[in-house]
Amino acid sequence: MDEKYFSRLNQYRSLWVLVFFDLPTETRKDRKIATSFRKKLLDDGFAMFQFSIYMRFCASRENAEVHIKRTKKNLPPKGKVGIMAITDKQFGMMEIFYGTKKQETEPPSQQLELF
Amino acid sequence: MIKRTLFFGNPAYLSTKNEQLHISFPEADKVDRTVPIEDLGMIVLENQQITITNGLLAKLTDRKVAIVSCNAQHLPEGLLLPMQGHTEQTERVRYQLEASQPLKKNLWQQTVTAKIKNQHALLQEKGKESKRMEYLYKNVNSGDSGNHEAQAAAIYWQELFDIPDFNRAQAGIPPNNLLNYGYAILRAVIARALVSSGMLPGVGIWHRNKYNAYCLADDIMEPYRPYVDLMVSHIVETQDDYSELSTELKKELLSIPALDVKIDGQKSPLMVAASRTTSSLFECFAGISRKIIYPEYG
Repeated sequence: MDEKYFSRLNQYRSLWVLVFFDLPTETRKDRKIATSFRKKLLDDGFAMFQFSIYMRFCASRENAEVHIKRTKKNLPPKGKVGIMAITDKQFGMMEIFYGTKKQETEPPSQQLELF
Repeated sequence: MIKRTLFFGNPAYLSTKNEQLHISFPEADKVDRTVPIEDLGMIVLENQQITITNGLLAKLTDRKVAIVSCNAQHLPEGLLLPMQGHTEQTERVRYQLEASQPLKKNLWQQTVTAKIKNQHALLQEKGKESKRMEYLYKNVNSGDSGNHEAQAAAIYWQELFDIPDFNRAQAGIPPNNLLNYGYAILRAVIARALVSSGMLPGVGIWHRNKYNAYCLADDIMEPYRPYVDLMVSHIVETQDDYSELSTELKKELLSIPALDVKIDGQKSPLMVAASRTTSSLFECFAGISRKIIYPEYG
């Protein structure tokens, strides 16, 4: 059936939350903190985009807020962390390259997926 | 938030890692996938060669994911739901069990009214006006003692599809197969919502067949059925062959939880609306409210 019956799930409503971080790794303790921050992102459903950029698809603004809030709660004491949310539409317009070869951007999570 | 549905129609190994559902495939070239468990609402396990770990089952039930397993004929067979769906579970179950007969009859009256009204609206949308249906939903008695539900159904199934001699039966001619599948999905959605509102899906307000494990789910899903019917009639109108339940058709039917419905003046995905309905049902049992909130078609 056409989109008119599924208006709640469109590219402008769904968001991608991106977390960028630079954490100190000088001492053993710092590394431990950095690893645990990364592990918590993974537990929360984030996936690695680049070494210190993690991203997560969220079906709605409310849902994105939940994950932003959770990330804020887990912030390490030192280091720089950026959190950003953009719409799926904007995310889809990103251009990704491997060398000079163009790559497809990550498709959004579908409400229904068949494996 | 609308929760996601995953459908497994191919062999897969399902396990858990980092609080995520981890999917790997027997084929070497297929890359593994992970899905956040908290985003899930329902998973359908259809292939016979799916291996699933207990650790994952525990996490899925903890997150109140409805797990539907299918038999060798690929039809939904079992539904796994958590024992504890709500923090106030025991208290809520007590309210449900202690509900008085007049209350139950009143709730059933509201349910039947909402169902016939939605059926009527669907027919109306298809340009099939029925004055009789309008009369039936406007005059439902307490406990539906006049059995308007059945009277409306008789008209409804005659009118809905342009198929001569169509009648609704478990083993009837197509599109009965589509309806059965769609209702099974709907039932899982409603049962999940009931459990997460802290109620027992087995103890109904009207349905009381001793062979039925989901009496309350079957009660509460009645006004939602026309949405399945809408989807099925859409398939009947647009597909040439729907006698076999192909993957394409299942895909269409599995999107039922995401379908827009109008509830309480707002547009919302069906799965979210179901939770709205079940929480209002609990309020009726607890004596806080007198009205179950059902979606209104159209």
